[in-house]
Amino acid sequence: MGVDLSVAIGGRTLENLVGVASGTYGYGSEYEEHLDLTGIGALYTKAVTMHPRPGNDVPRIVETPAGLLNSIGLANVGRERFVEEKLPGFAALPCAVIANVAADFPEEYAEVTAYLEAHDPNGALWGYEINVSCPNVKAGGVALGAVPRQVELTARLVREATDRPIIVKLTPNVTDIAEIGRAAEAGGADAVSCINTVVGMIIDVEARRPVLPAGTGGLSGPAILPIGVAATYRVSRAVSIPVIGMGGIMSAQDAIQYLLAGASAVQVGTANFVDPRIAPGIRDGIVAYAQRHNLASVSDFHSLLG
Amino acid sequence: MPLFDGRVLANTEIASDYYQMDFSWPTDVRAPSPGQFLTVRVSRTAVPLLRRPFGISGFIPAESHPADPPEAIASMIYWRRGPATALLAGLEPGDTLGVMGPLGVGFPAPEPFSVPILIAGGVGVGPILFLANTLAAAGYAPLLLLGARTASSMPRVNAHHHVQVRRSTDDGSLGFRGTAIDLLEQTIGVVSGRLEIFCCGPEAMLRAAHECAVRHGLPAWVAMEQTMGCGVGACMACAVRVNRPERYARVCTEGPVFRSTEIAWE
Ligand SMILES: Cc1cc2nc3c(=O)[nH]c(=O)nc-3n(C[C@H](O)[C@H](O)[C@H](O)COP(=O)(O)OP(=O)(O)OC[C@H]3O[C@@H](n4cnc5c(N)ncnc54)[C@H](O)[C@@H]3O)c2cc1C
Ligand SMILES: Cc1cc2nc3c(=O)[nH]c(=O)nc-3n(C[C@H](O)[C@H](O)[C@H](O)COP(=O)(O)O)c2cc1C
Ligand code: FES
Repeated sequence: MGVDLSVAIGGRTLENLVGVASGTYGYGSEYEEHLDLTGIGALYTKAVTMHPRPGNDVPRIVETPAGLLNSIGLANVGRERFVEEKLPGFAALPCAVIANVAADFPEEYAEVTAYLEAHDPNGALWGYEINVSCPNVKAGGVALGAVPRQVELTARLVREATDRPIIVKLTPNVTDIAEIGRAAEAGGADAVSCINTVVGMIIDVEARRPVLPAGTGGLSGPAILPIGVAATYRVSRAVSIPVIGMGGIMSAQDAIQYLLAGASAVQVGTANFVDPRIAPGIRDGIVAYAQRHNLASVSDFHSLLG
Repeated sequence: MPLFDGRVLANTEIASDYYQMDFSWPTDVRAPSPGQFLTVRVSRTAVPLLRRPFGISGFIPAESHPADPPEAIASMIYWRRGPATALLAGLEPGDTLGVMGPLGVGFPAPEPFSVPILIAGGVGVGPILFLANTLAAAGYAPLLLLGARTASSMPRVNAHHHVQVRRSTDDGSLGFRGTAIDLLEQTIGVVSGRLEIFCCGPEAMLRAAHECAVRHGLPAWVAMEQTMGCGVGACMACAVRVNRPERYARVCTEGPVFRSTEIAWE
């Protein structure tokens, strides 16, 4: 039986629901030098910001039990060099490319999106993923993604800047992630993705200071799988737009947990560092599972959870 | 395709807690050059999670030894210090090694007719040994300075007969008494010719080699280390401070080898 792993988001279709998560696959070109990217459904780029960001002090990552704690600091070349240096390479990639946008306050998200929109006349970008996990500089540094009104406003302003699909990426570091998901939907998001990394800290007991100079970092990898699955479960029941699940996916089994929890697509992040060819294998594993259980498409997964 | 399964051919302790692993290298994977590295998938479980980077300590092309089917042999020298390297130390001939490589930018060729001085300490011995043997085969007469804390932690290495090896130990139990940098200072004082310095080891050693080179007006190249995520330039984890407007460079792609004056030493 043929299995349809496509997913419709905001009037467009991703042929393959397995993507690679923002910050773990660069702009595609880094891995493409070494590997064929066929079999990856979508590449979510490293965050693009208004201005270049050099990134945080080093070390920027440390391994934790079954996880990875990072404080990269959104190091990226900024919107102008993104358009000059990265965008031209996207058309040649065998997958959809979704720009992950980060900013310091709601209006700036819209401004970065509008800039990318204006400099991409050929449609190299499939859509946008709005990373609302950043601190809101104008609101005293409170994480924008923790305040429903701010998330709704951000989605609304970005919506005015583009007709392409908008995915709002939710942070798990909130009291009620379902409420934030609803706010994104109310603002006009075509989908939500969850989860971004979980706040964490690890301390060097001999040096008596945090291993990461920034103090805290974002935890990813297998350690956060249950957090991501629970978030996906709760958000997908709170919204009527598609949910893209991620957090700790290392295998097809893990990805299927997300689909059963209500996700319509998934992203693989930290696992790419372990095996950069893992995403196509996960897709194949989902197909095999669907065949074994007579599931024709991703919506068939959603009614199965007992 | 630089992602391959190598076959462990030998895994030998060459000093206390230092091992050399030899493994097969497919003929369709580019041959590595000295200073380049690879990442190894050490486990199939979530702990330890990340691949680990290691320098390459030697390479024998397929043409140079009999094997059926033909395959090259690569080596790495590693220090058993934590969970990943403990797993590596447990591998036996015939076991599989998941490799990605060769990665990064290695050492440049020294100026013709110059005298390369190579300094290694700790886990830096592998890449420097590969460089020494490659330069010797290319007609240079490199000086190889190996530093260790004490005689038992000095790795036993196979150097080309045109490599002149000098050893230093902090406690004087083998060779020169002092650090490899003390030995470097002494060597610069007695060797004539156009000297060029190549260094791989702990950051304090790299910095001292850089300062020594600056004092003597000599060019120096250093192989940097930083915790890595992807190993291919995609994640921005492996940053090192450099004297450029961008402030940071990536060890995995712009390095690991840098001109020592490029590094913004803290
Ligand atoms: C370019 C490069 C070349 C290297 N070459 C060699 C070599 O030839 N021989 C050798 O013995 N070692 C080498 N290392 C260091 C080696 O990667 C670490 O010793 C190894 O990762 C330790 O893992 P562990 O689990 O045994 O120890 P852990 O207890 O996990 O870590 C011990 C230390 O190793 C380093 N380390 C841990 N994880 C990583 C990571 N993902 N990336 C980079 N460093 C990490 C950190 O400094 C950490 O404090 C190299 C590192 C780099 C960046
Ligand atoms: C090194 C690193 C960099 C990341 N950079 C970004 C980023 O720029 N923008 C973003 O929205 N998420 C970023 N993330 C979060 C991931 O996209 C993903 O949400 C998270 O890691 C959980 O998935 P995983 O457990 O599969 O890695 C980053 C994660 C890691 C590990
Ligand atoms: S390790 Fe990812 S950029 Fe260098």
